[in-house]
Amino acid sequence: MHIDALGEISHDPLARAGALMLAVIAGLAIFAPLFSNYSPHDYTGNIFSPPDGDHPLGTDSMGQDIWTRLLYGARTSLLVAVAVALISTSLSLLVGASAALVGGLYERLCMRIIDALISLPTIIVMILVAAYLRPSLPLLILLISLFSWPGGARIIRSQVLSLKQRMHINAALTFGAGKGHIISRHIIPDLSPIICALMMQDARRAVFMEAGLAFLGVSDPTVISWGKMMNQALAFTYLDVWQWWLVPIGLALSATLIGISFLSFSLETAIDPRLRRDESIEESMSLARRA
Amino acid sequence: MTLSIRDLRVSFGKTEILRGIDLDLEVGECLALVGESGAGKTTLGLSVMGLSRGSASGEICFKKRSLFGISAEEFRELRGAEMAMVFQNVEDALDPVQRIADQIAEAIAVHRSINARNASRLAVRHLSNVGLNKEKARMYPHQLSGGEKQRALIAMALVNDPDLLILDEPTASLDALTKADIIELLRSAIVGRMCMVITHDLSLAASLAERMAVLYAGRIMEMGRTEEILKGPRHPYTRGLIRSYPAMNATKDLQGILGQMVHGLPGCPFHQRCTQRIDICSLEVPEQTEKDGRIVACHRGGIVPLLEIKGLSLTLDCYPVLCDLDISLCEGETLALVGESGSGKTSLSKAIMGLYEPDRGAVIMEGRRVEKRDSAFYSRVQMIFQNPRESVSHRTNVLNAVMEPLMVQKRGSHEQRLQRAKEVLAMVELPIDHDFLHKYPHQLSGGEVQRVAMARALALGPKLLIADEPTSALDPSVQAKILKLLMNLQDQMGLAILFITHDIALARKISDRMAVMQSGRIVEEGATNEILSRPSHPYTRRLVDCALGRYDEGNGDIILDRDVAELIAEPGDQSALEKYC
Repeated sequence: MHIDALGEISHDPLARAGALMLAVIAGLAIFAPLFSNYSPHDYTGNIFSPPDGDHPLGTDSMGQDIWTRLLYGARTSLLVAVAVALISTSLSLLVGASAALVGGLYERLCMRIIDALISLPTIIVMILVAAYLRPSLPLLILLISLFSWPGGARIIRSQVLSLKQRMHINAALTFGAGKGHIISRHIIPDLSPIICALMMQDARRAVFMEAGLAFLGVSDPTVISWGKMMNQALAFTYLDVWQWWLVPIGLALSATLIGISFLSFSLETAIDPRLRRDESIEESMSLARRA
Repeated sequence: MTLSIRDLRVSFGKTEILRGIDLDLEVGECLALVGESGAGKTTLGLSVMGLSRGSASGEICFKKRSLFGISAEEFRELRGAEMAMVFQNVEDALDPVQRIADQIAEAIAVHRSINARNASRLAVRHLSNVGLNKEKARMYPHQLSGGEKQRALIAMALVNDPDLLILDEPTASLDALTKADIIELLRSAIVGRMCMVITHDLSLAASLAERMAVLYAGRIMEMGRTEEILKGPRHPYTRGLIRSYPAMNATKDLQGILGQMVHGLPGCPFHQRCTQRIDICSLEVPEQTEKDGRIVACHRGGIVPLLEIKGLSLTLDCYPVLCDLDISLCEGETLALVGESGSGKTSLSKAIMGLYEPDRGAVIMEGRRVEKRDSAFYSRVQMIFQNPRESVSHRTNVLNAVMEPLMVQKRGSHEQRLQRAKEVLAMVELPIDHDFLHKYPHQLSGGEVQRVAMARALALGPKLLIADEPTSALDPSVQAKILKLLMNLQDQMGLAILFITHDIALARKISDRMAVMQSGRIVEEGATNEILSRPSHPYTRRLVDCALGRYDEGNGDIILDRDVAELIAEPGDQSALEKYC
């Protein structure tokens, strides 16, 4: 069956909404200096000032502009999301596909390592590792990637195993095709929608994990992060500042996660025929029920 | 008392019509000379009779006496008396202004001192021997029917009791009943003589001659016992002749030999039309070599065995799928592999293609054992898979699908690949316009996808095509077109086809030989028409019965035998299972 997944989701309102949300956040993050007059590290002198013309969301306990820090915090979240998605999915693809294609002892070894990694309690290990080494952004990205690739590798392996048995791959083998041709011409193109879905999932988890770890204090002190800002804001909940300090950050985080979720949900529906809502089938089913 | 011809060459002007004929004929022996018209059959007959006007060289020895160098007068005495010929064209061979009996009396009077009355009486007696009564003997040729004229000619040839009788197309243009009468007459006429039957009618050759020589462009291509040649031709030309002859017992559709006969080619005279030619064929004339009493003139020793499978066994998931299989397939031949589903037909094809690794046994391709399947192997052997929609990737368009094998094998530049792709698409009668080339499989009909799959299998120019149920998903009219296509390709490229099907009626129309498979074994193998008319194995008999629509008679048997078969295949094979696991 011919599935043009990317073409299909471009008509899905859910996917469009998700993409729009992500685009707005990415735009704000990339062009942050245009939307704010301050540097995120500037001290304005006023602490806990409520929103006014100068400070759209007021200032925090250090007298820094919250709106500016919110914009620059988005940069960190998105950077982590993209980097983790790329690294983690590449690892998944590399290990999953090679395990399925090579088989034998290598495959068993890979799968057992994946099982072991999945069974580790992610957050605790990460806190311990980050506390032991000095937490920095690249280290965080690597750590999150390290813990999110195994699930994807399993999915990729099972897909490649089923692809390997497909007739058109057999046909290519009977033309004398080597592994290189099979992988680059058949397996990767057939995997591409799955790879997209995996990247979205990894990105979503990365944003969440980064914020969560920063909230728990595992974070590079020089990096502005939504999680860290929430942690700081939480210390002052007895003041009214949380309304313009905590809530906007929470909303921004939610919007990012929801945007990615909408996109991946729509993509998943397009890839998996069982999730498709085929109107003609439903119609005939209801007709049959009535009869 | 023999006729022997050595290196006979006859040329007319610059064209050599006979290019070195070697023949021997004993008394009491009848030799059929067959071949297309223009092959030099009649010239050979006329040369022996000394009637050929071309310049001849070589040697013809008749009764230990060389016919070259004897005077015209001596030859005239031989002709009619010791050697006689029944000429090809009945209408022209008789003098229209003389009565039949008079013409025959003349033939007698020429060679004997006999008075006119006795000669005439003798003539009438001879005519009655061939079934023409007194009244007919008094008639003029135009008053007789074709069959009667043929009888008169035979009487004329026999009248001086010749030792050598040459019959040139004795039954051409006769209806079946008259032909049968004439054949009966000829059978008694040739007893005790040397006889040469020149004909393109294979059934006549089969009913008169015990030996047969196949002539092509002045050379003998194959010679041997008639029934053996007709059953198992060894030269590609002989096979082509047999395939194009509408015999009553043939089941495969008629197939002609492509191209035209050209005289005076260097090398093997047949090489231009031969599908298994190699470089040497156009350079040197092949020697006649004898093997098992059969003479074949071919550089490749006759039709080449392309694929041989010896003792192939395959186990999948501890279950024996193929047991000790032997199959052979020659160049330009179609072998139908029939049997119910699950009998291991597709597994066999995949084992040949290297998609399954067999436990034991050898796959021998063109005389060499296939150890590693490299691109050279795959450019000789290609496969059409059972379901074309799955075998063509849903994300490639027609052009890329057809170009994929060329790309894999790194053949030529992009333009050359494009050219070749268009060529093979045209070969399978698909359009080659831009729109069609950029369509995706789901936009094509079943027949079109099947033809795309076929085109990509042909792109590398294979010699062996394994077609796994290529038409099972198609309606009969598309199926007919695709099968015609395959047969045409067989004519053009000498494609050997291993045709896997469960449809006996289909196999009957397209295959030369048939192998019946049951639970991983070949239970019967042989010429398709023989298997279908006289199936010997009970399983084959049941398949044929079912194909004929006779379900009732053997119904009980089927269930019983199937149970038995399963018992044999499953728990009975404990030892086999243990061995494999």
